[in-house]
This record gives sequence, structure tokens and C-alpha cells, in this order.
Amino acid sequence: MATTPETAGNEGDRSAARRAARAHVRDKRTRLSVVFGERIAQWSITIGGLMVIIAVVGIMVFLVRVAVPLFAPGEITRTLTHSLPAQEVAWVNADEWQTTAIRVSADGRASAFHVPTGRLLFTSELDFDGLRATAVAGTLQRNQVIFGFEDGTVRFGEVGFEVTTTAERNAPSAREALHDRDFYFDRRIFSKVLTGDYRTIRPFAEFQDPVAISEHAIVAIDYRASGSVERPRFSFITVDAVGIARVSVTTVQRNLMTGQETLRTTTSELPELPQLPEGTVVTAVLLSAGGDRAIIATGAGMIYRYDVRDANQPVLAEQRRVFADGVAVTALNFLNGEQALVVGSDRGDVDVFFRLLREGATTTDGRELVRARVHEPQGAAIVEITPSQRDKSLVTRDADGGVWIRHSTADRVLFQFERSGTARADAVTMMFPRADGALLVADDGTADVWSFEPRHSAATLRTLFGRVWYEGYDAPTWAWQSTAATDDFEPKYSLVPLIFGTLKATVYAMLFAVPIALMGAIYTSEFVHRSVRATVKPVMEMMESLPTVVLGFLAALVLAPFVEEWIAAVLLAFFALPVGLMLGAFLWQMLPAQLALRLDGVPKFALMFVTIGLAAAFAYRVGPIFELVLFDGDFKAWVNGDFGTGTPFMFLILIPLSYLAVSFVFYRQVGHVFRDRMRSLDRPAAGRLDFVRYIAFFGAALVLAYAVASFLTLLGFDPRGGVIDTYAQRNALVVGFVMGFAIIPNIYTLAEDALNSVPAHLRAGSLACGATPWQTAMWVILPTAASGVFSAVMIGMGRAVGETMIVVMATGNTPILDWNIFAGLRTLSANIAVELPEAVKDGTNYRVLFLCALTLFIMTFVINTFAELIRQRFRKRAFQL
Amino acid sequence: MSTEIADRRATGTAQTVNGRAVRRFTADVSAVGEPALWGFGGALALGIILIAGFLGLIFVNGVTTFWPKPIAVVETVDGRMLAGVPTRTGVYRPGERIVEAMTPEQRAFLEENQGFSERTLFRTANFDLTGDDFTWVSDYQKTEVTFPADFFYFERREWGPFVGRIAGIVIDDVAIPAEAVDMALLRREQREARGRFEQIRRIERRDIGAVNYRIEQERLSRRRAALRHGADSPQAEAAAAAAATRIAQLEEEFRSHQDRIAAIRAIDRENRIVLETIDGRQKETELSQIVRFFAANDLSFTDKAGIYVARWHEFLTTEPREANMEGGVLPAIFGTVMMTMIMVVVVAPFGVITALYLREYAKQGRIVSAVRISVNNLAGVPSIVYGVFGLGFFAYTMGVTIDQLFFPERLPSPTFGTGGILWASLTLALLTVPVVIVASEEALAAVPRSMREGSLACGASKWQTIRYVVLPKALPGIMTGLILAMARGAGEVAPLMLVGVVKLAPALPFDQFFPFIHLERSFMHLGFHIFDVGFQSRNSEAGKPMVFVTTLLLLTLIVAMNSTAIIIRNRLKRRYATGHF
Repeated sequence: MATTPETAGNEGDRSAARRAARAHVRDKRTRLSVVFGERIAQWSITIGGLMVIIAVVGIMVFLVRVAVPLFAPGEITRTLTHSLPAQEVAWVNADEWQTTAIRVSADGRASAFHVPTGRLLFTSELDFDGLRATAVAGTLQRNQVIFGFEDGTVRFGEVGFEVTTTAERNAPSAREALHDRDFYFDRRIFSKVLTGDYRTIRPFAEFQDPVAISEHAIVAIDYRASGSVERPRFSFITVDAVGIARVSVTTVQRNLMTGQETLRTTTSELPELPQLPEGTVVTAVLLSAGGDRAIIATGAGMIYRYDVRDANQPVLAEQRRVFADGVAVTALNFLNGEQALVVGSDRGDVDVFFRLLREGATTTDGRELVRARVHEPQGAAIVEITPSQRDKSLVTRDADGGVWIRHSTADRVLFQFERSGTARADAVTMMFPRADGALLVADDGTADVWSFEPRHSAATLRTLFGRVWYEGYDAPTWAWQSTAATDDFEPKYSLVPLIFGTLKATVYAMLFAVPIALMGAIYTSEFVHRSVRATVKPVMEMMESLPTVVLGFLAALVLAPFVEEWIAAVLLAFFALPVGLMLGAFLWQMLPAQLALRLDGVPKFALMFVTIGLAAAFAYRVGPIFELVLFDGDFKAWVNGDFGTGTPFMFLILIPLSYLAVSFVFYRQVGHVFRDRMRSLDRPAAGRLDFVRYIAFFGAALVLAYAVASFLTLLGFDPRGGVIDTYAQRNALVVGFVMGFAIIPNIYTLAEDALNSVPAHLRAGSLACGATPWQTAMWVILPTAASGVFSAVMIGMGRAVGETMIVVMATGNTPILDWNIFAGLRTLSANIAVELPEAVKDGTNYRVLFLCALTLFIMTFVINTFAELIRQRFRKRAFQL
Repeated sequence: MSTEIADRRATGTAQTVNGRAVRRFTADVSAVGEPALWGFGGALALGIILIAGFLGLIFVNGVTTFWPKPIAVVETVDGRMLAGVPTRTGVYRPGERIVEAMTPEQRAFLEENQGFSERTLFRTANFDLTGDDFTWVSDYQKTEVTFPADFFYFERREWGPFVGRIAGIVIDDVAIPAEAVDMALLRREQREARGRFEQIRRIERRDIGAVNYRIEQERLSRRRAALRHGADSPQAEAAAAAAATRIAQLEEEFRSHQDRIAAIRAIDRENRIVLETIDGRQKETELSQIVRFFAANDLSFTDKAGIYVARWHEFLTTEPREANMEGGVLPAIFGTVMMTMIMVVVVAPFGVITALYLREYAKQGRIVSAVRISVNNLAGVPSIVYGVFGLGFFAYTMGVTIDQLFFPERLPSPTFGTGGILWASLTLALLTVPVVIVASEEALAAVPRSMREGSLACGASKWQTIRYVVLPKALPGIMTGLILAMARGAGEVAPLMLVGVVKLAPALPFDQFFPFIHLERSFMHLGFHIFDVGFQSRNSEAGKPMVFVTTLLLLTLIVAMNSTAIIIRNRLKRRYATGHF
């Protein structure tokens, strides 16, 4: 398109030359190139013009396209069923690439198989001295296991995978292909990876010598490993056939000279389970990672929680029935992170309990197991619960063969699988380490493999916008915390605190900006000389393109410390400024009419500056005294609720209201008398009378405000804990002030434009009818321009909603739900700016942040479209007038 | 009544006062609305005061930052001595515990001031020795303040400034004690050392940089061959062999450059200076580590002016050091300007075409209304949303595709698939296009109808009329829009944080290697520099002067652009107002 005009131009020149040469045969047809150029110009400009619509729609569509997959259900990528040689299964582990799995039986046979094809790779015999394991447990990573035997001994073991990388040239040649990616050689699986080399996985199962714990068979066991690599510490809990529970800690001493390892096990018996009726079976035991908490569940539906922090003196901390009478607890496990206890019942319930500090708890440690989440029941007895190693998902298997993959935080069932083969055969279920599949291996040799892509299981409409009871929280709440340093952290993706923060910042900014901008605009357009307007307007326009990062910097590093130090003076200034200006006005009214007329205009305007300066100086000087009188000399401590009552602050808030009330009552009762009296006086005298009235009103308002505030205090009302509370340096007051400053130019310019475009004949007509300029402005100009002014306010609001740099720098970025003007906040925009640079592409956080952007886009889109429609209407009306 | 006032205002005449007239002046004061007027005027005045205060604060702080300030030596009540540059003072109320620990005189002093005391923040510097840059000293703690002439202010390449005396120098490994130090000699040596430092930097940047660049090119060409022909193909092996020999040569060259640097460093190590703090601690440092030094209390006005100018020069022409808290902002200026330029190149046609469509081609109706709503929405969408879009669409969608098509040899490290100056410019172009559209529309509307009609009457086609009559006439107005867009774009930071701005760019997006302009590179930006130094640095107090100066620079830039635009616009208005075609 860029070349077309050139061509057209050259053609034009040439044709002109030719025309000159043979003027007598003038060709009246338009040259083809001109027609052609015209067409191209028409089309390209039309398309170019419509590009704007495309851009806006495109941005929205793109944001939607990135955000929507958040809500897409997970996808099952592969379902396989293998028939392996039958073998009892006590423990199963699989590697994180879903390549190999290894199963270990109770009598000591270990066999590895290839997950994609189901081919048995090898079987090896472990020496269990001919004994059978009666209870099995392992760590979350499933590679460290403990087997409890019928003779009361336990053996530690490792059932895992050794992963190495083999260069392509070193790969063995005598290999047996399993499928297109993997081949097998000498108890190892070789998988080709992207770089062309091989990932070598060697499954193995090794067990150590037995450690005697009890004289009876072990019926339930759990196991945790902690400590460092050099000094590992294994803790485990066992329950034997006669119902004695023991917690044992094994430390490994490694002899540096010989490399020999010595195991030292200390065991302590837990207090006997109380009221354990005959025939009750212990169905599950659990131990926390530090070995300091033990939980035992029984077939009678009881849960016993022991405090084992002091291994020598274990205490039964809590016992409670978790389900209705007669419902047995059949499965028990921690979610990843061990903050949440998942309990399964023989009715199929899957409930999650948190151990929380509770007032009035009857337990020894003041904590109680609190039912925090009730997941969808499964219909048949839950026989197995296995948590994911990655996130807060888990797999639950019921007695009827249903295998459900759930996400606990989001309280949703991701997938429902049905196991193949006989549902009754004993089996072991696990989730693959990357939480992208589940494996079930049954005694009869059936192996079910379900691979899936869970996508963004933690994000649902409920977690994004609803209350969720998170681990470690006292109650369901809205929270945003997308990342943390630890792996077992529960991400919290509630947009509610962010939207709230956005609104809070906007509200406080608008409270500050709208009055100043609108009043300033009215004054500029109606009451000042044209020359003042000619200088003020461009400056304001220039301020519109002021980089907000500068304002943010000033807010954070200059204003915030200043306000913190002079908070009382700042508060006082909010009263001193208006009161000072009013005083100025009433004093001005006392001037003789002619002097007032002569000084009207620039001198009066200058006097307003002086008044503001005086008021500010007053606030600065009197601020400390003000603080001393009302807030006992320490506003921040007062706000914190350390002492005093809510009266002083309510008193301040109520002053304007009381003033209005006083004047309303006065004019209602004696207004006409007063007005008549005023009319009979000359201007200075009327001014004096008005001044006296003002002072009297003000005094009365003070008294009234204090009385009402005291009364409210008596009723037990205290603003602290609401709009005012503990002071933080970077707070909504500072943000409201600076962001208000940032949007004042926007609102001012647009509102001034709207007021200015009111036709001059309306103004002239009103004045000619005898209205004062003030009456003209209020009752003629403002109503006419109202829609334009309103749209200016809306556009200012749109800008406040999306403002980023100021809030990033001056708010402290704390995502809290709190109207407190002295607390920080986190807005949607700041959240994006802070977190998106770190977010992994296409991860949950990334998409949630795009959802934030979309929310912001929609908010501003609605505001701006609304404003624009109003403005178009206003323009039409203004033309009609 | 009030009518009289209005009348008199309109005519501006003053009647002579007689009894009747005075009676006629009795007014219902509420009709004049004086208190409300003062409220309105006060709001405007407050707005002006805030703006003036804001600009004044930045101007004063920015302009005075580089002026050399004296070093005060303060003796405190408890006998401590400290030397530092007074940076600011403030009034505060000492806490109860502090008051309890005071001597009676101090308490009396405090009582006199109603419990308030003034305190001064001294930049005591010497961070490497004391671990602290600043110290507050309250008035009641001071006993004596002197300004000794033998205290120097050293600006160093590392650890920030140093405040102290010279305890001796070592020139060519010969120690000269403090008494015998010849200032002229020291200055000469320091200048030379500084020259050596620049020389080393030149070698590192230009020569070693070039070698590294070529090695990288060789590596890439090898990989390219492997990707194109397969890893085991003879072409790939030939390319690998060729690359290996060339890399060996380049490494040889690299070593020779390093030897040159080592030689200069050896000289550096022979020229040192021993600095001494006020409490007698000494620190020996190479002369080349000193950027600038002066006896702060012994300067004439010309000296001060010289230092002032030199500091501005350094600020505008060098790279930052000390985590951006010292040195210059040249890369940031460069990044800002370049980004803005690319942005204008993109935004100009887009904006002008849309304006042409709206003014010249479109028929009024639903579509135009939709376009206008879209323009206003583009103007109203928060800038951070553009950043999100830029990152997701430009970098992660377009950029990744470009990488796969054109730069497969560099994968998995992204070329265009991450933030860069091109994507930042495109993002900002999208953000500023409404400004251009609105201004261009106004400019097109201001072209008199008669000119168009004249052109059409002469037989020109519509496009020819636009191309040869309307556009040239509207050009100044369009320029105004572009300048305003530049001003807006130059100050925007939030979207840039997502699409390619970095706190310290390893290389400018422009250098001596083909294709000279590297649009994929990340860059530095003045606005982000302010954010980074003011907000993310180790010590925001130490970074403050830098932030103020950078802010001043950015504001000057933006105000200059805005003023230019306003001036052009006003001229235009006058031209169209007075003379019609």
C-alpha cells in the first residue's frame, strides 16, 4: 500500500505532460492507475480503520483464550490394562516418567514391569526368612518402605529407581526393544530422550535386617523419614495384634572409617487406647514427618490422636468419633504437606480434617481435629487413600472397584475410573510421582494404568471466587497466595481480595480526586479569567501524561514516611483546609461590595492560595496538640486499639454531618426570619451576620458531633477494626492521595471540556435573567453538562482501576480483605505486575494472572463503554441546544 | 439584589454611592454562593499547589543532587566523631525510652521545643568499613560541627563513596606519606588510572565482546548445519570441523586480549591510595577504583561548578554501576529513545489510517460508533493489560513461532520468544494509538472543506486529494499526536516490566555486529530505572538522589515533548483561525 500513492503520483505527472502535448484529443477517461490506486486506498484505509475494532476484540479474545483452559476438565490420555503373572501385592512404586513399576509381595518377591506395555521385566526373591509381612507402609515418595511381620519384627527397605543418563554411543547393543521409545537390557530400561541420549532406569528393591519391635504380629504400621542425608532419622509407628501401639525412632550412625552403618532404634509404647471394645480392629495408623504426632483409626469409627513430641511421654491428645455411630474409619492418610488428614469411611465418605487451635478445646494441646472439607462420597467403603506427591490431589479406591482421582483444595473429582478384573481382589493404588496418572496393581496380576493430564485442577470457579478452607486457616476464607518456597504448599488463587483491593484503592482515590477535580473544573470554566484558564488547562493536560512511576516513587519514599510521621497533622489538614476556606469566604463577604468587586478575579484567587497555605501551616503547627488532645499523643497506638475509645475519630467524622444537620434544622425553623433579616442589611453587615451564623453553626456542630460520638461509644460502637485500624506505612490513604493526584488531571480536563462546551447563549441568558454567576453555574451549566461531567468521572475511575505503578510501589501489596484506610492492599494490576514475570508459561498461575487481566479488561471495558455512550449522548444534546 | 451585582459585573461600572444605591446592594449573600465559590476555587488552588509542589520537589531535588556538598565533622555528646555529608533534616519526636536516657540539659532543650527535636541525616558513606551508609544525628546530641579542609569525598567504583582523609599514596610501588602528597601529582595519577580503567573496559567491551560474539556465531553455525542436514551428515561434520578451527583461533585472540588487560592491571596494582576514616581506620585501594575525589570543604565556586558539570556529564554519558545506584543512565536513555522511536514508526501509519477512515471514508453509523467506542476503550484499557497481552501474544505466541521458523539453532534459549525491545515497542504502539487517532482526526477535521472541494473540482480523485492536499495540511496536527504519543509511551513502565525491560541489560540493542539493531534484545528504560533504584535497591536512601535526577531527566523529556506538541497545536489553531485557504 505504501508504493501505491507513489505510482499514482507519477502516473498523474506523466499524464499531465501527455495532456499538454496533445491537448486537442483530451482523454476524458480516468486513468486505470488512478482508479486502481483509489480502490487500494479505499480498501486498505477501511481495513486499517476497522483494525481498531479488531485490536480491542483481539485483546479480549486472546485473554479469554489463555484464561479459559483454566476451567477445562482434565484429559485422560491413556488407559491400559495389563495381565501380569498373579502375585500378591504389598507395595508398588513407579518412576516419574511412567516407564517402569515394581511390585513387592508380602512374602518377599519383587517383580518389575514395563508400564506402557505391561511386560514383566524381571523377578527377584528377597529374603524375608520365610515370614509374611502383615503390615506395610512407606514414605510419600514411596521409595522408602517398612514392612511389619507376623513375628513382630520390622524391616526397612528401599523400593525405588536409580536413574542415570547414558550417552547414545554407550548404549548396549544387545538390547531388547519394548516399544518405539524404550528398550530393555540387564534389569534396566533405556528410554530415548529429546537430546538423543538415553535415560536409564534401574528398578530395585532392597531390604535390611529385621528389627524386633513386638512379640505379636504387626497389624498396622506407618513410616516417615527425616533428618539429613548424613544422619537420617526414621520414625515409625506400629500396632501389634494385641493392640499395643509403639512409636519408634531409628537413627543411623555411619562410621566414617569403615563406612559401616549402625542402626539404633528407640521405641516407646503409646498409652493404651481407652475404651477399646473387644473385637475392634485398628484400621489405620499415621505418623507425622517429625514423628511427633500419631493418629490411630479404628473400625469402631474412632480416631485417636497422640502427641509424641516427647518420645518418652506420649500423650493421648484427642479422641473423637469422626462419623456417625457405627460407621467405621477404613482409610486414613495425610495430604502432601501433612496439614490435612483425609479420612475414608465404610460408607464411602472422604472427609478432610485440620488440626486447629480452638478456643475451649478439650484436648491436651488445645488443638482439635476440625472437619474442614467434605468431599463427594464414593458410594462404597473407601479402602485406600493415596496422596499425590506433587499437589493436593489424591486417589481414593473403594471396595466396589471405583478409583477416583480428586483434588482436595478445589473439592472436585477429577476423574472416576473403574478397575478392571475382579473388584474384590486386594490391590495397591498409587499416583504417579508427577500426579499425571494412577496405577493399580492387584493380587490377581491385573494392572490398571490411567494416564491423564489434570490441567489446572486447583482452579475452579469456587477456588477463584468462593470461600475455601485452606490448610492452616481457621475458617473458610478468600485468599491469594500463589507461590511459596516449599513444595507442599497449597496455592490459593482467590481473586476476591484482589478485586476488593482494586475497588478499595479506586474508592479512596476517587474520594480524593473527584471533589477537587470537579470543583476545580467548574471554577476554571465559570469563575476565573480566561488567561488563568489558558495556563491551567495545558498544565493539567501535561500532567495527564506524567509517568506514574514517578508518582509511585514519591508516594513510597517521600510521602509515605512523611504521612506516617505527621499523620495527625495530615488528618487535621483534612478539616483545616475546608474550614479555612470557609472562614476566608465569610470574611470576604464582610468586605464592602465595591472593594469585593474590584478584587474579584485574580486577587481573590490568590487569596485562596494564601488561605490554603495558612490552613496547612495551622495543621502543621497544631497537629501535635490535636494529637495530644484527641488521641493521647499517639495516633498510631490509638488506631491500633491500644487505649481509648472510638469517640475522637467518630467525632471528627461526624463534624460535617452535624454541620449539615444544624443548618438544616436552623433553616427549617427560623430560615425565613434569618433571610429577611439578611436582606434588610447592607453587604458588610449581612456578611458579619452570616459570619456569626457560621461560627455558631460550627460550634453547635462540634457539640453535636461530640455528643453523638459519645453516645455511639456508649452503644459500644468503635470504628477501629473497620475503616480505621492498625497503621501500616504504605497504606490506602497514601495510595488514595497519590492515585487521586494522578487521576485529577484526567477528570479535570474532560469535565472542563464538557462544561466549556455548554453553549454560551445559555450562560448569557441565565445571567441576563438576573441569576448570579454562581446560580448560573449550579442550575444552568452543571445540569446541562452533567452527562459529560459524569463520563469524565467514569473515565477517571477507569484509569484508577487499572493504575499499576503507584499501587505496586505504595501499597505494600498485601492481599487482604479490609476496608482499613491505614492498611495496605493489592490490586489486580499490581498483582499482575508483581507475579507475571515469574510465572511459568501456561501454568496455573500464568493463566490465573491472565484471568486477572481479563477481569481488569472487562471492568474498564464496561466503565469506558458506559462513559463513551453517555458522552455521545451528551454531545448530541449539546448540539441540539 | 443579586441582579445588580451581575449587572455591574457585566458593565464594569461603579455607581456613585447614595442612600438608595446602598439599599439596593443589600444582598441575599447565599445567592452569590461565596462559601461554595471559595470551596471550588480552593479545590483548583489546591490542585495547582499540589502540581507545583510536586514539580518543584522533583526539580529542586534533581537539580541540586550533583552540587558538591560540604563534609561536616560532628562531635556528639558521648564523644563520638563522625564525618558525613548532611543530606536532609527533619523534625521528630524522640521516643520515651530515648528521653529517659537523656541528660537534664538535653531534656530541657527538648522541653523548650515541645518535645520535638530536629535531626540531620548524614551520609557517612564508607559502607565497606561500617556497613552503614547513613546516620541520623539529633540536634541535642551534637556538641560541635566543623568543616575541616582536609576531608575528601571519594566516589569509588565499588562500595559507594568514601568520606575521609588521604593517609598516603603509592605511586609505582613507591609509598608517599600523607604529608608529602602533592595534590597535582595525585590528580594526574588519578586521571591516568581512570584512563587505564576505561582502556580495560574498552578492551573488554569491544575486543573481547567481538571475540565472544564470533565464537557464539561459530557455535550457532555448527548447530545450524547439524539441524539442516542431520547430526551425522558429512555437511554437519565439515561445519563442526571448520567451526572448531576458527574457535581455536578466536580463543587464541581472546587470550591475547586478556594478556593486554593483565598488563594494564599490573600497573593499576602499583598505584594505590590509602584512605583513612575519621576514626582512624585505613583502607588501601587502587587508584583506578577512584572515579572522582575532591576536598569537599575546600572548593571554590568554580571547582564546585566543575564537579557539578562533570557529574552531569558522567550521568548522561556512562553506564550505571553499583546496582544502578551510581554512575550514569546512558543505556536507559538509549533504550527509552530507541523504544519510543520504533513505537512511533509502528503507531504512525496505524493511527493515521484509522483517523483517515473515520474522517474521510467511513459513513456515519453503527460501525463508526463501534470504532469510536473501540478507540476509547483502547485508551482506557489499563496499561498493564497491554503488557499481559504483549507478553502472551507478541513474545510467547509470535516470538516463539519466529524462533521456530528462523532461529531453530538457538533453541531452547529464546531469541524473539521472550521480552525484547521490539515487543515492548509494539505493545506501547497499541497503547498509544488512540492518542494518535484522536489528534490526527482533529487535524484532518481542521483542514478547511474548501481545500478539499477545490482539489476535487480540479479533477483530483479522493485519494489524490487526501494524499496531496489534506495530509500535508494536516501533517503538523498529526505530528502533534505523534509527539503526544511519544510522551505517553516514554513514561509508561508497567507493561514494559512484562515485555522486556531489565534492570541491567548486558548489551545495548544496537552495536557493531550485523544487523546492528537487535530488536530481540532486552533493554533498560528510564522509568523502570526509577522503579528499580527507588524501590528494589539495597538502600533506598542511597538510591534516592539517583532517582530524583533520573526522574528529573524523564520529566524534562516528557514535558519537552508535551510542550512542543502544545506549541505546534497552538500555532496550528492560530493559522486555521486567521487565514482560510
